[in-house]
Amino acid sequence: MTPWAQYVVGGLAAGSLYALVALGIVLLYRSSRVLNFAHGEMATLATFVAFTLIGRAVPFGVAVAVGLAVSALVGAAFYFVVIRPAKEGTLLGKIVMTLGLALLLGGAVQVVWGTETQIFPFPLSDTRVYRLGAVVVSEIHLGTIGAGLALMTALFVLVHHTGVGLAMRAVAQNPAAAQALGIPARRIYALTWGLASALGGAAGVLLAPVVYLDPFMMLDPFLKGFAAAVMGGMDSLPGAVVGGLLLGVGEVLFAGYVSFKFKTTLAFALIVLVLLVRPEGLLGHEYRRRV
Amino acid sequence: MMMLRTLALVGLAVSVLATAAVSQPAERGVTATEILLGTTMPMSGPAAFWGTGVSGGIEAWLRSINEQGGIHGRRLRLVVKDDAYLPPRAVANTRELVERDGVFALVSSLGTANVFAMRDYVLESQTLWITPLAGADIWAGLRHKKYLFVTYPSYIEEGILLTSYAAEHLKTKTIAVFYQNDLYGQQGVLGVKRGVARVKGVKLVAQVSYEVTDVEVTAQALKLKESGADTLVLYATPRHGAMIVREIAKVGYRPTLVSTFTLLDPVMFTLGGDAWNDVYLTSYIAPPGTGDARVDNVLAVITRINPALARNPFNAVAGVSFVEAFLEGLRRAGPTVTKDRVVAAMETIRNWDGEVIRGVTFGPDRRQGTNRFAIYKAEGGRYRRLTDWYAYPTRF
Repeated sequence: MTPWAQYVVGGLAAGSLYALVALGIVLLYRSSRVLNFAHGEMATLATFVAFTLIGRAVPFGVAVAVGLAVSALVGAAFYFVVIRPAKEGTLLGKIVMTLGLALLLGGAVQVVWGTETQIFPFPLSDTRVYRLGAVVVSEIHLGTIGAGLALMTALFVLVHHTGVGLAMRAVAQNPAAAQALGIPARRIYALTWGLASALGGAAGVLLAPVVYLDPFMMLDPFLKGFAAAVMGGMDSLPGAVVGGLLLGVGEVLFAGYVSFKFKTTLAFALIVLVLLVRPEGLLGHEYRRRV
Repeated sequence: MMMLRTLALVGLAVSVLATAAVSQPAERGVTATEILLGTTMPMSGPAAFWGTGVSGGIEAWLRSINEQGGIHGRRLRLVVKDDAYLPPRAVANTRELVERDGVFALVSSLGTANVFAMRDYVLESQTLWITPLAGADIWAGLRHKKYLFVTYPSYIEEGILLTSYAAEHLKTKTIAVFYQNDLYGQQGVLGVKRGVARVKGVKLVAQVSYEVTDVEVTAQALKLKESGADTLVLYATPRHGAMIVREIAKVGYRPTLVSTFTLLDPVMFTLGGDAWNDVYLTSYIAPPGTGDARVDNVLAVITRINPALARNPFNAVAGVSFVEAFLEGLRRAGPTVTKDRVVAAMETIRNWDGEVIRGVTFGPDRRQGTNRFAIYKAEGGRYRRLTDWYAYPTRF
């Protein structure tokens, strides 16, 4: 019998990636109410840029940093070039624009890098394992969980304990008032777009060594991240983390003890269940405030 | 006066149309200089690795034939449409190819579930259909398949062979199957079940599935380990196949690995790493690099035309094997190309060897051109042939 703890470890590894994806989605949603459908494609772009640089003998850390920077720049540029000029447009219109960006980026990645499955070189091994009693943890799972937690903590500190974070929260709550107080709202928005895209990129880089690199690798993780965000509460950063981890663990336990065939369905069943009981999401506030 | 002019115009129109009808080429998709072929393939999505390799192989092979002057002076052109491995898109692409592009023949089309979805439409449209890449059992018992010719093997027969080979030569007592939850994987499972029913002393202890969209298979690996099966059979995409062998290695489960030929491409050594050593697979053709000089030569020809195929050598060469018999049919049909002449010519193919595919036989009542497998083993980054050909009964 496989110990349940083994399932939980596997679920946490997947869940921390869902949480990273969800954080990017939530960060952007909180500040601008835009649901970014290009989140997955930005992540793929970052990962492919890093992959190319690693192939040219650039050190891993530098390559990943450049990859994340590229996706952050694309995110910020998208805000300045498309979203900002369309400020009079409806929210739905902006969301559709992100869909357009998703198609554009997806196509570009396919043209430039091809559709073949590639190996993403990663400094951690996925076959070296550590044993904790009956539970086996691979180096890469530990790394994924660790990196995920570190990034989440960094984001939390940034948003809640720095001046920039304060400005981000102010702009999110009341853009007009924030601007009147001298906060450069446009730059803060662009920063948020960039940061959210880079977070997605980080998730991509952590996913690629496990799921292999191809232009479509973020399709499913994006959906799961979105599900996690809705479950945790679209306006809550801790909610995104809780949602991601719960979804990851829930999925693996469900597959292990109930059924593989309905594993993907579980994500959506969970959303329905959570929203029935708490329409604002597990840790969200928005719904109550609006009421 | 008006009446007269109208009549004259109508008469003119009728005569123009009639002339056009007479001077039109006799066959759709065929001109004096070209034969148009079409296919729908997963050029994106989870099975893109198969689609790009197979379609790339076919295209490069057709180009090499065109370079030598084509067939009876006609060049062959292939239209490839991307279906992302989604059956509804495969059907839509096929309708476009037949109704709008007007192809002479459909070649291949990849994915058992996709082919199954488009099957009725293509058979009813009476379009020449050359080797759809689907477990061959979906054709057995069907009528109205005059225009269908298949040189693709049967997953069910493959599952039976893998099971009985494992029982006889690999000391297998308990089997688990890791399979794709669609018609492709289910046919593999069915084959293993039939194999288990035939061989004494072997039990099927676990059937663990994944969805094509799954990006991780942690729970599946744990479930397989829990089953404790001494042999694991794989019916998956290259990506999921590689993921599961790495994942079970991570959790310390090391069964004897047995796999369908669809995972035979050497890319598996890269994707699966060390975990892809000592895997037993079938193949219905000699894979490149296993001592068949003609196959190696085909690979050299197609990689000269498209160097990217070197990353995908087995799938590319398999692509060639899917169209060779058809090209032979075109040669035998002579310079006047019609569907029925090609069908009649292909029906004369008996025990015919191409460059890659061997021993192909068609006939008025036979559309299953190939019915054999040999067992190969993955060893140190190469494949080695272990057995002679096993033939299985033809069913259509």
